[in-house]
Amino acid sequence: MKQLSLLAAGLLFSAGVLAGAADNVTVQEPYVRLAPPSAPATGAFMVLKNAGDKDVKVVKADNPASRVTELHTHINEGGVMKMRPVPAIEIKAKGEAVLKPGSLHVMLIDLKAPMKEGDAVPITLTFDDGSSKTVDAKVVRPVAAPAMEHKH
Amino acid sequence: MSQRILLTIAILLAALLLGLAFFWQPTLPERPLPVAAAPAGGDFTLQAAGGPVALQDFRGKVVLVYFGYTYCPDICPTSLAATAEGLKLLTPEELARVAVIFVSVDPERDTPARLKEYAEFFHPAIVGVTGTPEEVAAIARRYGVFYARQPVETAGGGYVVDHTADTYIVAADGRLDGKIAHASPADQVAAEIRKRLTKP
Repeated sequence: MKQLSLLAAGLLFSAGVLAGAADNVTVQEPYVRLAPPSAPATGAFMVLKNAGDKDVKVVKADNPASRVTELHTHINEGGVMKMRPVPAIEIKAKGEAVLKPGSLHVMLIDLKAPMKEGDAVPITLTFDDGSSKTVDAKVVRPVAAPAMEHKH
Repeated sequence: MSQRILLTIAILLAALLLGLAFFWQPTLPERPLPVAAAPAGGDFTLQAAGGPVALQDFRGKVVLVYFGYTYCPDICPTSLAATAEGLKLLTPEELARVAVIFVSVDPERDTPARLKEYAEFFHPAIVGVTGTPEEVAAIARRYGVFYARQPVETAGGGYVVDHTADTYIVAADGRLDGKIAHASPADQVAAEIRKRLTKP
């Protein structure tokens, strides 16, 4: 009986993976900001869109270019910027999550080697249902915040 | 009979009122709130890779002063990129009358050599400086800059530094003359500089 329920749970789990969040989430304009030569860390940014009917969470990110990858955000407290790790990044059903400088981002910590402009870093996002998705993020030089909210 | 009860109640209430008037001290702060005096700013001398750099060396120029650190992965690059792009919007004549100083709020990890590499990545005109923790703290206080270490396991050396992300503007006469908010676009940076360059 116990084995049966385990099997059922396993089936349910794999069903979840098959019809996973990864299928509903599209990633737009992923990029990694080129770090200055002496900087040990940098950020990856992108827009995550969820076409599904359920809220989805990114619970983990990975990449081969740095030893540690974390999900972070910034809190602006009276002009003081505080960077903090977050356990997950939520993408609302039919909504989007915008990862951008000064806000949510994937943090690449302890870079294994200096990056070059134009390199591509494969970033793997894992969702709360266990499914995952890998996107190639281009390495670009840091630019100032665009005057408009979003630049194409 | 009921009149007497009423009278007693009235007297009790009056006594309560009197007592309150005499003894109740409202807990509102009596002392004046600290006056948000404009930060004084002022001259300072710190160490760059090429030797000491003093704010007073740049008298006659508009000086942008930014407080950050080289392990800063997002906020400093955003600010410095905006500053660098703002500088690129200036004419060579205008640029010759502008200086940018990047003051480390992480003197324990930032060496002058590291700072040079970091600052020049954004723009060759940006000078990275640092000093003893006491020197940096004193300058930050004068400029109204807040910074504090925050332990983060995975950050290089185990901590990040929360810090004020605005860029301070020092006028040609050395006076602290406003600031540019974090993440201001490049054209706003250039406009703020030009406004002060054209001042008599």
